[in-house]
Amino acid sequence: MTAMSDKILEVNDLHVSIADKPELQIIRGANLEIRPGEIHALMGPNGSGKSTLANSIAGSPAYEVDSGQILFQGQDVTEMPADERARLGMFLSFQYPTAIPGVTMVNFLREALKARRGEEVPAREFLGELRETLKTLKMDESFARRYVNDGFSGGEKKRAEILQLGMLKPSLAILDETDSGLDVDALRTVAEGVNALRTPDIGILIITHYERILNYITPDVVHILVDGRIVKSGDFALAKEIEANGYDPILEELGIAGEAVTA
Amino acid sequence: MSDTVALLPAYAEDGVVAGAQARSEPDWLLARRREAARAFDATPMPTTQLRPWKYTGVSDLVIESWAPWSPQLTIEAPALDGDAFAGSLAEAASDATHGDAVRERLGSVVTATEGRFIAANAAQWEDGVYVRLPRATTLEKPVVVTLDATGAPAGAAVYPRILIDAGAAAEASVVIRFTSNDQPLLVSSVIEMHAEQDARVRVLLDDRWGAQTKEFTTARSRVGKGADVQLSSLAIGGQVIKQTVESLIEGEGANSTIRGVALGDHDQHFDFVTLQDHIGPKSTSDVEIKAALAGASKSIYYGVTRVEVSAKGSQAEQVNRNLLLSSDAKADSDPVLEILTSDVIRCGHGATVGPVDEEALFYLQSRGLPRRAAFQLLVAGFFQSVIQDVPIDGLAEELETLVVDKLAAAEL
Ligand SMILES: Nc1ncnc2c1ncn2[C@@H]1O[C@H](COP(=O)(O)OP(=O)(O)O)[C@@H](O)[C@H]1O
Ligand SMILES: [Mg+2]
Repeated sequence: MTAMSDKILEVNDLHVSIADKPELQIIRGANLEIRPGEIHALMGPNGSGKSTLANSIAGSPAYEVDSGQILFQGQDVTEMPADERARLGMFLSFQYPTAIPGVTMVNFLREALKARRGEEVPAREFLGELRETLKTLKMDESFARRYVNDGFSGGEKKRAEILQLGMLKPSLAILDETDSGLDVDALRTVAEGVNALRTPDIGILIITHYERILNYITPDVVHILVDGRIVKSGDFALAKEIEANGYDPILEELGIAGEAVTA
Repeated sequence: MSDTVALLPAYAEDGVVAGAQARSEPDWLLARRREAARAFDATPMPTTQLRPWKYTGVSDLVIESWAPWSPQLTIEAPALDGDAFAGSLAEAASDATHGDAVRERLGSVVTATEGRFIAANAAQWEDGVYVRLPRATTLEKPVVVTLDATGAPAGAAVYPRILIDAGAAAEASVVIRFTSNDQPLLVSSVIEMHAEQDARVRVLLDDRWGAQTKEFTTARSRVGKGADVQLSSLAIGGQVIKQTVESLIEGEGANSTIRGVALGDHDQHFDFVTLQDHIGPKSTSDVEIKAALAGASKSIYYGVTRVEVSAKGSQAEQVNRNLLLSSDAKADSDPVLEILTSDVIRCGHGATVGPVDEEALFYLQSRGLPRRAAFQLLVAGFFQSVIQDVPIDGLAEELETLVVDKLAAAEL
């Protein structure tokens, strides 16, 4: 096995701008490597580009990769459409999941699972898995009959994302602020759901600006994103440090305080 | 096209009368046929100067070059007795028990002199559907009408005629399914609905026309006190679909609901015209028409919701939404509110024309759905609000299948 295929995700010197505003470059040279079984945390002040990075990795057409590469399981996916990436095993839990009125969760999940597996999933098998995953996440079965994210509370949206994660069993899961808007009980349930999915093969990138969720899902590596660049990486202690003192000491230490970032 | 067409004798007064005689129609109907033939002769084709015809030009269409043809008509209805009836209009018109009732109602809501397509229908219809429910009669299951024109020769014309007469507190639900082959076919239908006090009438028009069918339909209801009429239309097939759906909401507290769904591809042309005319006080109306358009298909909506001076305390809602699935698809939407009294509870209208929500598309694609599969799901979802309250079992699933099948090959 080559060193390349050892990695689930490799982001090399990635530069990303907004598709509608090419002059607005948000990610300005990001590097990241995630190996099977690893959990990485990506932290950073509001507006530092965390969601932009996550969406670019997932292939959102709202962003344009100006330079650099995204490798998924050794394959260059930088120009690959989002649906192909997802079928290969990439998953993004959105910070703000989109409501799709008229489309039920159950129909949506069935189509998604069919796409992920590359074949029709027998109804019995599908419903069995759906029930089980709902149970793990302490969600009522009636949830599946509701329209995708339509009228969901903040917490319900986050659970719905994890429900999809549980059904689709990706090899890379990016969780963009899945912890925000959750009360302690919901946070624990969601974290347990994520932990239940952990296998030695899956790589997880948790994006957050609090270390709260990291008490339930312990990261192997913590990265700090500031102004579109990963300015510091470390272990769990780095997250604790931010929890205690905020981002300012790190920014000062790196001499980038005063740039257009706000905590 | 119009310079070499043969004008068929079936459309002249003599031809119309001869047809009625050959069918042994009763004298009163024969007289009506004669009037209708004259009206047809005297009425010009509508021009695009008329607002409801602005985007659907028919000056090239010569009705009398299309040969009248009888489609296969199947009516599934429960057995009824006494004054109640659900079956062939032609039979009822000649029948001793029902003839007088048909005579009284037929042509009373939509009159032959109103327009050329309507006059052609009044002169030419050979059979149709008659549903009559006396006071407090309720049909457990919908009357299912299938009008099958798949055997029609190229250049045929069919003239479906439907008359629904619901007495006080009666309840009826009628499903009308139309099919045809891919040869040129002209369809001019007239649907008349009467709903007396507290009656409840549900009609679903389910069009599965072939590629070269041109349909011109006028459906109108008179809605009595406390009565409730809903007309829903599914337009999937066809080349030109022009449907005019009107409600005269006459009774106090009466309600009229109009629902429409159109799924277009290639050069399909849909044109919906609606009128909700509030006459009775405290009456309510609701229009929701949605079109999803692939290829170079087009949808036009022009609807008027009028609240007359007499209709104090009324409420109305009118919405037309168009989803453009390709860059060549087009839609024009013009919902109009005419409020003639200051005493209304709520009157709203809305129109949208736009592409698929990019965020929703990305959301689905980020879960592995190929672009086309994502479109299929989004369009089925888009239609959901229109059909969720159409009380026909399994309709949502059936429409979903139709959407998936049609979009499997559509130009997106
Ligand atoms: N579609 C967009 N249009 C304009 N600006 C955007 C867009 N998306 C993100 N941005 C800007 O990019 C920066 C980074 O945003 P984001 O990636 O959401 O940050 P984070 O997730 O770290 O809070 C912010 O300044 C934000 O306003
Ligand atoms: Mg964010």
